[in-house]
Amino acid sequence: MSTRPPEAGPLAELVGPGAVRAAGAADAIGDLRPSLVVRPGTALEVAAVLRAATERGWAVVPRGGGTTLLWGGRPHRCDVVLDTTGLDALVEHAPADLVCVAGAGMRLGALQATVGAAPGFHQRLMLDPPQGEDATLGGLVATRASGPLRQRYGTMRDLLIGAQFVLADGTVARTGGKVAKNVAGYDLDKLLVGSLGTLAVIVEVALRLHPVPPVSRTVVVEGGEPRELVGFLAAVRRAPVVPSLLEVLWPDRVAILRVDSSTAGAERQAEIAAGLHPAARVVDGAEAAGWADRGRGRPWRGEGLVAGVGVPLAAIAPLLEAVEREHQRGGPVDLALRGGLGVGEIRLAPDPAALERVRLAVEGLGGHLDLRRRPAAASDLRTTPPDPVARELMGAVKGALDLGGTLSPGRLGWAG
Amino acid sequence: MDQPPPLAPGVLEALRQVVGPKWVLTGMDARRTYECDGLTGWRALPLAVVLPATTAEVVAVVRLCHQHRLPFVPRGAGTGLSGGALPTPDGIVIGLSRMRAILEVDLENERVRVQAGVANLAVSRAVDAAGYFYAPDPSSQSVCTIGGNVAENSGGAHCLKYGFTTHHVLGATLVTPDGRVARLGGAVPDGPGYDLLGFVVGSEGTVGIVTEVTLRIVRQPERVQTLLGAFPSVDSAGAAVAAVIAAGIVPAAMEMMDRTTIEAVESTMHAGYPDCGAALLVELDGPAPECSSLFEEVRALCQANGATEVRVAHDEAERARLWRGRKGAFSAMGRVSPDYYVQDGVIPRSQLPQVLAGIRDLEGEFGLRVANVFHAGDGNLHPLILYDRRRPGDTERARSLAERILDLCLAVGGSLTGEHGVGRDKACQMPKLFSVSDQAVMLRARRAFDPLELCNPGKVLPTPRLCGERPGIYRPHLLETAGVAERL
Ligand SMILES: Cc1cc2nc3c(=O)[nH]c(=O)nc-3n(C[C@H](O)[C@H](O)[C@H](O)COP(=O)(O)OP(=O)(O)OC[C@H]3O[C@@H](n4cnc5c(N)ncnc54)[C@H](O)[C@@H]3O)c2cc1C
Repeated sequence: MSTRPPEAGPLAELVGPGAVRAAGAADAIGDLRPSLVVRPGTALEVAAVLRAATERGWAVVPRGGGTTLLWGGRPHRCDVVLDTTGLDALVEHAPADLVCVAGAGMRLGALQATVGAAPGFHQRLMLDPPQGEDATLGGLVATRASGPLRQRYGTMRDLLIGAQFVLADGTVARTGGKVAKNVAGYDLDKLLVGSLGTLAVIVEVALRLHPVPPVSRTVVVEGGEPRELVGFLAAVRRAPVVPSLLEVLWPDRVAILRVDSSTAGAERQAEIAAGLHPAARVVDGAEAAGWADRGRGRPWRGEGLVAGVGVPLAAIAPLLEAVEREHQRGGPVDLALRGGLGVGEIRLAPDPAALERVRLAVEGLGGHLDLRRRPAAASDLRTTPPDPVARELMGAVKGALDLGGTLSPGRLGWAG
Repeated sequence: MDQPPPLAPGVLEALRQVVGPKWVLTGMDARRTYECDGLTGWRALPLAVVLPATTAEVVAVVRLCHQHRLPFVPRGAGTGLSGGALPTPDGIVIGLSRMRAILEVDLENERVRVQAGVANLAVSRAVDAAGYFYAPDPSSQSVCTIGGNVAENSGGAHCLKYGFTTHHVLGATLVTPDGRVARLGGAVPDGPGYDLLGFVVGSEGTVGIVTEVTLRIVRQPERVQTLLGAFPSVDSAGAAVAAVIAAGIVPAAMEMMDRTTIEAVESTMHAGYPDCGAALLVELDGPAPECSSLFEEVRALCQANGATEVRVAHDEAERARLWRGRKGAFSAMGRVSPDYYVQDGVIPRSQLPQVLAGIRDLEGEFGLRVANVFHAGDGNLHPLILYDRRRPGDTERARSLAERILDLCLAVGGSLTGEHGVGRDKACQMPKLFSVSDQAVMLRARRAFDPLELCNPGKVLPTPRLCGERPGIYRPHLLETAGVAERL
């Protein structure tokens, strides 16, 4: 064991010496180097740690799988990393109710394996986030992460039905419940989703599961100009086709559509979709798997920064054109867009000028851009700000729940 | 009763200057129209009712309230069933009923922007010809407003598949309780920062006044298929529900009615329902082949679970007929029982048989009948407690029975309300579901928007002052008596 930094003592008293250690190089968040890593095992331990940190003015950054610590802005400070992976128990799986409750530190892969194994059912959490199976449930809530399946199943905003969380002052609270239809009390779930570790440490989540449809069919469109590809997207929206995913990859000039349904249903939907564009074709077997691979976690695969982008449906073509112009300039660029929603991610060179060009283009189209993976040290990258009054309200919410600014200070940029 | 202090001098005049004298109501009769919402047992006279026509007018009215520390209650159509729009006697009501413009129909982007006073059904009507609809369909939809839907996060029979209001609101203009204008969300999902819009939806009018809303519209399904299964008992119908869910099928709607309900429907409106212990109405929609194959599966599952008869609608007229009994269930109840109270509880659907058995036991214990007609697919129960307020003690018994049913729901891991909201009615029951610290955190979040608690005070969260009082008797909402809307 390395020598214990002076601050470890008080925390070790709260969670036991085995759950506190000095931070190492692997614990760095970009260029920020925390002093301590604490791994509490219960909600009450989380509360004790947060209370102690807040009393001492230490900044705490919650960490789950550690897969997305570079999302959002650069925290101003980080004294303590609060590792949630000790909170990884499955609390309940009620397959007949399509609901499960689990510790926020449980990894997505572990959850899928558990709920998938329920005899007599075939269900899962319909989330395929870019950070993959190692991400924890709490981290997925905090980042509002999602992947191509968002087209049909939404994000954590749609799947989270309840949570237990701890505020910086040690208050332990619950919101929602474990039934999907529920309007009792304020919907604090929604504040937690996408809060990037700045409002509370999530310790337990209740999630909606979905049945896995038995049959899948994939349709691919390759080649063509932005407007042609977008013509396909619009035609799909008008057709009796309910895609589970509809990914547009650019500069690949590709659209991948998948329907998941009953045997007859999948077959016919795929046929209809394939008839909507001259270059569209149904692919199966190994080829379908190959396309699935190509789309998965796409913009994260290469080097560089990754930004989230969203534009109105009618602005998808001009967005693709802007991305194509960026491609023509020669810089690395890689866009994966949910074609039925107008939201997705783009990878760019870690160059503020490239980001600025894309941001202005997206905002000009009535959309917005935020950061999902920033270059380690960069702190001056501009993203789309919220409406000014909304921003004041966000600051007020942050102040109401974390008055001392203990949790991930700075990560949200403008709200603290 | 104590008289509330009258409005401070000059306030009325200032309000009149903002909205025009005609739109500030102070007469006793006018104010009385606003003294309750759909839950008529709770009543209070506001000091005045103000009816602004634009966001700018709402801002000016709210600023006056803020300046004078005058509480205000936002109100849509007043169809709420939890006393959410119940006036506060020391404040005013701000009604959105004049703000009923559809501002923009943007088919290309599949969205519609409306003023908050627009009726729910008007949105679907505006896009119907183009092949779209607005999915959340509370059965009060011909009158209830989008602003009220946002405040209550309203649902409907079809939210089993399509989700609730919160899944269909993209953006909103919120006038904060101190009169600032915030644009939350927008035309594109995932806007920057905290999801304040998600918090505002379902906040029951306590964090500001929503004046404009951008809604997502949905493509009409290619096919809709409906069946009615007759079962010997609610248990066997419940087993069919469980089997459908276990088969991985998500119907658009799945509604159940018990014998008491069916008998009431038959004796008053002759819906032609089979004589049985429970009826299950299932509707599927989607692309044609998928819809049809799942429909056959559902039919088989009904039969396998003891359905004595399965009726299938072959056209729109037959579909309407199957729904008629379901939709008319509540007004039918009004005709077989002098009074009734609608409970709105949620349970994990696997607990259906157990909870329904518990309700039967309570019927015996209290000597009152309970009719069950509910959203079986998502476990949202609406037990109707039948009573006669002229019989001494009946009203109190009905109320206690309603509370005991909620206790049953909570005991199996359910919730206090699935769609009608907490409002004033259930504020004092919040501690049954949420701990003191849960509620304290909710209050902190609320106060981030409204530190002075001027906006719809006394709703959602309990206070010691509130929780001693008891509501008066229930009377059917005007719309129900008129047969315009049913209570789901
Ligand atoms: C016959 C009948 C059937 C019903 N069926 C259903 C159903 O199937 N599903 C369902 O979910 N509900 C149902 N309801 C309940 C009710 O219709 C819904 O809650 C509806 O959303 C209320 O809308 P409203 O315009 O009448 O709002 P109100 O009753 O006027 O107000 C409801 C709440 O919203 C707030 N509010 C209203 N407008 C605004 C605004 N612009 N900004 C901020 N806050 C605002 C009020 O302060 C109050 O707290 C039914 C009611 C009746 C009477």
